[in-house]
Amino acid sequence: MTTTDKRATLLRILTTALAVCFCTTMMAQDESTPTKKVTHTEMVAIGSADLLDTYLSPEKYKGSEMRYISHTIRDIPGDRWQQQIIHQGSIAMADDRAEDGNLMGGLYTLDYALQRPFHPGDGQWELRVGGMANFNLGVLYNSRNQNNPAQLKLSMQLGPAAAVTRAFHLFGKEWRARYEVELPLLGLMFCPNYGQSYYEIFTRGDYDHNAVVTTPFNAPSMRHALTIDFPLWKVTWRVGYLGDYQQAEVNNLKQHAYTHALLLGWVKKFKVTRTRK
Amino acid sequence: MTHRHAITRTMGKAAAMLLAACCTWCLTACIDEEQFPDSPQGNLEALWRIIDEHYCFLDYKKEAIGLDWDEVHTRYASRVDEGMSRTQLFEVLCAMLSELRDGHVNIYTSFDTGREWSWSEDYPSNVSDTLLRKYLGTDYKMSNGLNYRVLDDNIGYVRYPSFANEIGSGNLDDMLTFLAPCRGLIIDIRSNGGGMLTSAETFAARFTNEELLVGYIQHKTGKGHSDFSPMEKQILKPAKAVRWQKPVVVLTNRGVFSAANEFVKYMKCCPKVTIVGDRTGGGAGMPFSSQLPCGWSIRFSACPIYDRDKNSTEFGIEPDHHVGLTDADFHRGRDTIIEHARQLLGK
Repeated sequence: MTTTDKRATLLRILTTALAVCFCTTMMAQDESTPTKKVTHTEMVAIGSADLLDTYLSPEKYKGSEMRYISHTIRDIPGDRWQQQIIHQGSIAMADDRAEDGNLMGGLYTLDYALQRPFHPGDGQWELRVGGMANFNLGVLYNSRNQNNPAQLKLSMQLGPAAAVTRAFHLFGKEWRARYEVELPLLGLMFCPNYGQSYYEIFTRGDYDHNAVVTTPFNAPSMRHALTIDFPLWKVTWRVGYLGDYQQAEVNNLKQHAYTHALLLGWVKKFKVTRTRK
Repeated sequence: MTHRHAITRTMGKAAAMLLAACCTWCLTACIDEEQFPDSPQGNLEALWRIIDEHYCFLDYKKEAIGLDWDEVHTRYASRVDEGMSRTQLFEVLCAMLSELRDGHVNIYTSFDTGREWSWSEDYPSNVSDTLLRKYLGTDYKMSNGLNYRVLDDNIGYVRYPSFANEIGSGNLDDMLTFLAPCRGLIIDIRSNGGGMLTSAETFAARFTNEELLVGYIQHKTGKGHSDFSPMEKQILKPAKAVRWQKPVVVLTNRGVFSAANEFVKYMKCCPKVTIVGDRTGGGAGMPFSSQLPCGWSIRFSACPIYDRDKNSTEFGIEPDHHVGLTDADFHRGRDTIIEHARQLLGK
């Protein structure tokens, strides 16, 4: 065989292989079925922050907070339980009442909820009830303190999570109102003891009740949001209110972080198909 | 279907009740802290409360110097009135805090820093810049705050005026290697006001070949004056680097405070170490910060630290050889304390 013949044969083999692969893929796609309906919302929350941590200061700090929220609901047809996954990253800046001190906070929160949907009444209502687990990691930094300048925020919580959605028509389009709430009932959080320094904990390794079990009695906390989805310019927009009230009184130290924020974001709905092998 | 609708309705009611319970609970279970008004009286009350609940030496000082914190409140509350100026309020608050006789207690304002330094100011300084210049000369070595040279009688001299910087392992290796031919070492920490505890530990770890119990540390666990955690042992571990094996003399005066006081405590436990000079200034409580309604910052002792016999070193550590600078030596250009150390090391 000449070099030209060899090249031609190789080209034919490659073309045939590609064609087989393409056909196989098409056949596989033909056999695929829609398995998940995903509602993904990306939001920005801007609002007020009210911060207290008596390890850092007896004074309350008030300021503003900005939060990015990635909110995903995965509905699997036929499954009783639906997934809700929320990632939140927030930055807060607050001043004391004398406007002489500054408190800065950064927090990442991951929420994972399993909820069971119900459709009472005329079918326009949807109620989801279930449980959630969340993980929080962040820091609160007081710019004026020396040996106690910061507080590590590390916690995990379990509790019920519920959501109510109502679809309605306005201006000839479908709108959706949604209210969701989470209530941590049992958790574990890191906290230094009353007058314990971070030098003792992290340099010397002297632990003293630094992992504390939290319940609604020592950490009554709650996060809820009321939102409205509406279509505009071929995009589904979401606006609403976010209220996040995180509190704890452990090791004789008090902490709270109250957030009231305006939510603004957009909603994407799509189906994820699973390809059969 | 009817049965299913009934279940759905029941679930709906349960969820509604849960939501209502959430809201009710959150609205009624607020965790908050009492905020004193930003007035002269409010600021005094806030300051008194911070010390009452967080300061770690109230019981110790009641026993040692007869401090009665409730009586202090009564006495100073009557000195405050609503018409007083910021400067006048500052003076009253500083006077109240001076009752604690603690160098770690301060009020920081934009116009002044409130302090009580009688632990140092009421005593001879026992250190002279003029004399130190004479001993160090101009060709001494300088590394990360460590100033050192070899004196005429082949004794190493290290002047270390602050623990504010983190001492690097390399700095200590190079210094101790350079001074290794010397027959003894003088570490002069007179008027060293402290800094980082970790630096004091790092430095002292060069003078022991085995783990040593050097003291205890604890912290407050509640608002009560006697609410403390169990004492935790402070163990000084030998450095895994160049370690000094010859005699050492540490020079002290009343200006040795806080982390420098801790360094003296550690060194007292090390073999071949002698402390020479005046009693140290003390400062055995790791300080925390807080603030007043008017925005002024407060610093106070929060975690008490003890020596190996569980005695507080808040009011200082006695030297092994009590020596002070004499006028006669000063006029002859001699530092009495350094000369005493040289004699000890020359024996």
